[in-house]
Amino acid sequence: MLGQDKLKKYAFINAKLRARISKILDDNFFEQMIKAKSIHEAMRLLHNTPFSILEEVYSTTGDLKLAELELYKKEIGTYREIEKHLAEDTREAVVGLTRKYEIENLKAALRLWFDRVIRKRNIDSYTGYLYREKIHHDLNVDQIINVDSIDAIISILARTPYAKIIKENALQLETTKHLFPVEIALDRYFYEQLYEKAKKLDRMDSTIFNSILGIEVDVENISWLVRFRDFYKMSIEESLANMIPRGSHFNKRALEEIFATHDFTEILRVFVGKKYAALSSILVAQSSDSQSKLVLLNRLLDQIVFYEVKKLKTGYPFTIGIVLAYFILKKSEIQKIMTVLNAKYYNIEEERIKSVI
Amino acid sequence: MMFTTKMCQLTAVVLEEDVDSVTKELLKEGVMHFVKVTDVSDDIGTYITSASPKVSQNKMAETRKRIESFFNIINYQSADIRELDVTKLSAVNLEECNILLDELAVDLQKVRDQQKFYQQEIHKLEEIKRQLDLISTLENVDLKEKYMFLSIKVGTIPVEKEKAFLSELEPIPSVEIKLKEEGKTETTLLITMKRDSSRVEKILNKFDWQDVEFSGNLDNLGIKAESEIDAKVIELKEKQEEVNESVKQLVTSKKGMLGDLWANLRMNELFYSMQSFYSKTSKTMIFSGWLPASQKDTLETEVMAATKGRCHLEWSDPRDIEKEKSTPLNVPVKLENPKALSPFEMLVRNYATPEYGTIDPTPIVAVAYLIMFGLMFGDVGHGFVLLLLGIWGTIATRKNPKRKGLHQVSQLVIWCGSVAMITGVLFGSYFGYGWFPPLWFDFHGIVVGYEGTGVVKNINDVLMIAIYFGIAVIGIGFILNWINCISKGNWFKLFTDKAGILGAWIYGAGIYVAFYFVGTGYSHLPDGNLLFILIGLPVILLMFKPPIEFILHNRKGHAKKFTAGTFMGWGLEWFAEMLEIFSGYLANTLSFMRVAGLGIAHVSLMVAFDQIARTTTPDGSFNAWSIVILILGNMLVIGLEGLIAGLQSLRLNYYEFFSKYFSGTGKVYAPISLKGKV
Repeated sequence: MLGQDKLKKYAFINAKLRARISKILDDNFFEQMIKAKSIHEAMRLLHNTPFSILEEVYSTTGDLKLAELELYKKEIGTYREIEKHLAEDTREAVVGLTRKYEIENLKAALRLWFDRVIRKRNIDSYTGYLYREKIHHDLNVDQIINVDSIDAIISILARTPYAKIIKENALQLETTKHLFPVEIALDRYFYEQLYEKAKKLDRMDSTIFNSILGIEVDVENISWLVRFRDFYKMSIEESLANMIPRGSHFNKRALEEIFATHDFTEILRVFVGKKYAALSSILVAQSSDSQSKLVLLNRLLDQIVFYEVKKLKTGYPFTIGIVLAYFILKKSEIQKIMTVLNAKYYNIEEERIKSVI
Repeated sequence: MMFTTKMCQLTAVVLEEDVDSVTKELLKEGVMHFVKVTDVSDDIGTYITSASPKVSQNKMAETRKRIESFFNIINYQSADIRELDVTKLSAVNLEECNILLDELAVDLQKVRDQQKFYQQEIHKLEEIKRQLDLISTLENVDLKEKYMFLSIKVGTIPVEKEKAFLSELEPIPSVEIKLKEEGKTETTLLITMKRDSSRVEKILNKFDWQDVEFSGNLDNLGIKAESEIDAKVIELKEKQEEVNESVKQLVTSKKGMLGDLWANLRMNELFYSMQSFYSKTSKTMIFSGWLPASQKDTLETEVMAATKGRCHLEWSDPRDIEKEKSTPLNVPVKLENPKALSPFEMLVRNYATPEYGTIDPTPIVAVAYLIMFGLMFGDVGHGFVLLLLGIWGTIATRKNPKRKGLHQVSQLVIWCGSVAMITGVLFGSYFGYGWFPPLWFDFHGIVVGYEGTGVVKNINDVLMIAIYFGIAVIGIGFILNWINCISKGNWFKLFTDKAGILGAWIYGAGIYVAFYFVGTGYSHLPDGNLLFILIGLPVILLMFKPPIEFILHNRKGHAKKFTAGTFMGWGLEWFAEMLEIFSGYLANTLSFMRVAGLGIAHVSLMVAFDQIARTTTPDGSFNAWSIVILILGNMLVIGLEGLIAGLQSLRLNYYEFFSKYFSGTGKVYAPISLKGKV
């Protein structure tokens, strides 16, 4: 019976998403994009793809960030469209995933506010790129970037779950003069609400959902941890206190070890060797500076996610796995496109682009 | 046309100094399907090595694609450069080409930056407009105060400083509206964001701004700031568009130069692509390839002329090479059919390329496909609509080489429409109505239950036509298979193949027995002796196929060990083949009943729509709604049934017909030519 229910629930969306996954731009395409000699030529390659809107926006406005905003809208549209084809519990989970975009948009608005009010920077050139349509809550980003105090922001967001989060971290923000306490709190909220939604899924879906979430949490945590240590010069206690709970592979002890050692690639090598032996080749590349190590780390963690996605794609087809796989692959595709286009805009060499995508 | 085009192989040795002029000639002729010399002979010795081209083809292709990306801006297709002239081929300097293209890219970027500048202006105006919109939606005065992020000022500045004033304000989101000019001063409304107040104040002080009192409400000034902003945004967008046009002008101005560059790169790419197949000794170059035997003399003359006779050309027939090597050759296959049959050639190619030296099934497919389609979709009106659609599609896609596939499908639709009209006349069907008497039988009448007057009287007769047709198609399949076996000298296969003489014997006998059985009212089978000769004998003869195959295999030197299990293997093989022949051929034949089935469905649907249309009036006459229903019904039938009939015809060809004789192991003949696909 369970099998039949799952078949009914996922048959259509499974076929639809598999067809779409087959159309995701492949490595050869990105290879070509990277080889393009200018941003114009890279854009032209997108002409006959679902991303032709980028070329259209860029050739009309010359504004790459505006083209990126279009892509962002398209990505949100994808989530919204998929939501329509899902059963109630799965839809709830996907709605939870879509909240990421709302949170990222809020973070972008908060960063602009922070730059203007705390860092006293001019933000006029950046305000045009915020997403202004409603995703789940009215964020009023125009008001957020223009008010002069954090209290005013809390009052603007009063009808959203974000007001409470910002209020709880406002003091830390003002004392540290850093925005990350708020950003991390928002990330924690994002994952917490997703874990809550996972409880409403059936056992198989819930296991898959939690496992992918756990890996994403690992990715976020390690990325933050390295930044805390190398860029914010925080103590181990402070850093660990800010971690998002319930990562899949890195518990508190593992995170402590990563924090304590400067060559964290060694710890990753042990970890990868145990669970993802096929990916250990990525760690062969030795990097000396923190920035390069961070890039290497992100690449590795991305590969771990893709490894899991591959497992989802080849596993039992009638689960939430295919939905998650599609979102992850789509997100990666969009990220790659924007990375290459930005790199082309700034004339970055091919090899450097290859190292980050 | 009956068989694949006869090919021959050329292996040539030319002096190194002549190699470029020979390559040019080969490119001009464009008939050589090159193969590596190492593929021709396994034993070429160590003194012959591969010749590496002087210039990288990949780099040339990359540069060519760069040019195409510029062409795209002006919607100019590189395919429009049709005439590639080998006499204009010259050495290409990729570095220089890329420098030129880089310069063009830089110019383009400057223009995009200009567009971006205007976009930033638009962003600023839009931000102010958003704030104005917000204020206008707030009724509550306190709220207005709280969310008033705009600074609205009216003041005067000296007229002569206006330009500089506006220029200073440019980086700040602001709207300036000139209200009036009196003598040497002008009154201006200035809207800015409060967050920029300190920057704005500095500018105002610099330009002797004098505040003028006003109530704070824009309406009191009679100014529609939103529409002023809209007008400015439109103006900026027009400027962006103008800039975009200048990009097109820039590329258009260089179109000639880029076109020449593209043509030369393309020719060089092909030129070096040919040379990448060459091998060399210390003073000579060797190349080899296939071409249609009919082109042999022309090519020989041209190569001789290019080398002034200083070359050695060796021509070989594929059969001679096969005999010499005693292994099958993978000769490239060229199909030569009249242009009108190109849609059917496309259907064949979509399935696979026929093996060299076998029958080219294109004309047979054309006939079989069209008969099947006609039987399933016989209606003059519907056929006429398809014909018109096909003509429209053909014209619309005629000049676009990228839509060659769609062009061929449109041509296929013309064929299908025409044949549907012919069968429509035979069935007397005109948009589902019998406006004229049928020339063969009344398909509609039979489907709705009237007894026919001719040979075809009822539905069973219609089904029988499909069965007879199926038997004929399968029978032709057998004959074509025998022809293929004879032409390839494969005598063993001729007799023992599933579609060989013994297989056909069983099939023919099966049909005879089935008709005999039906003819006796399902009560008698033919006499036992006759039945043994008809079915038993070929079945027994086929028992010898596995052992003979075993012996032939061993004779060729691929020795297999004979064990006790070998016997069992032979038995199983024979049993499986018998099962396949009996059940397979029965299924193949019955499969053709779909032709009648779809024909009946076509008629039934038209009858159903007629009845639905008549229900709109109590007396069953037609009104406007009936016409709408009939039009929609006809559209549905044409779209849906047309597609189904087309696909089913294809399916029957591919699976019931091709499986009897078609060996799709051929390799497509792909000469390096100036007319080749880019």
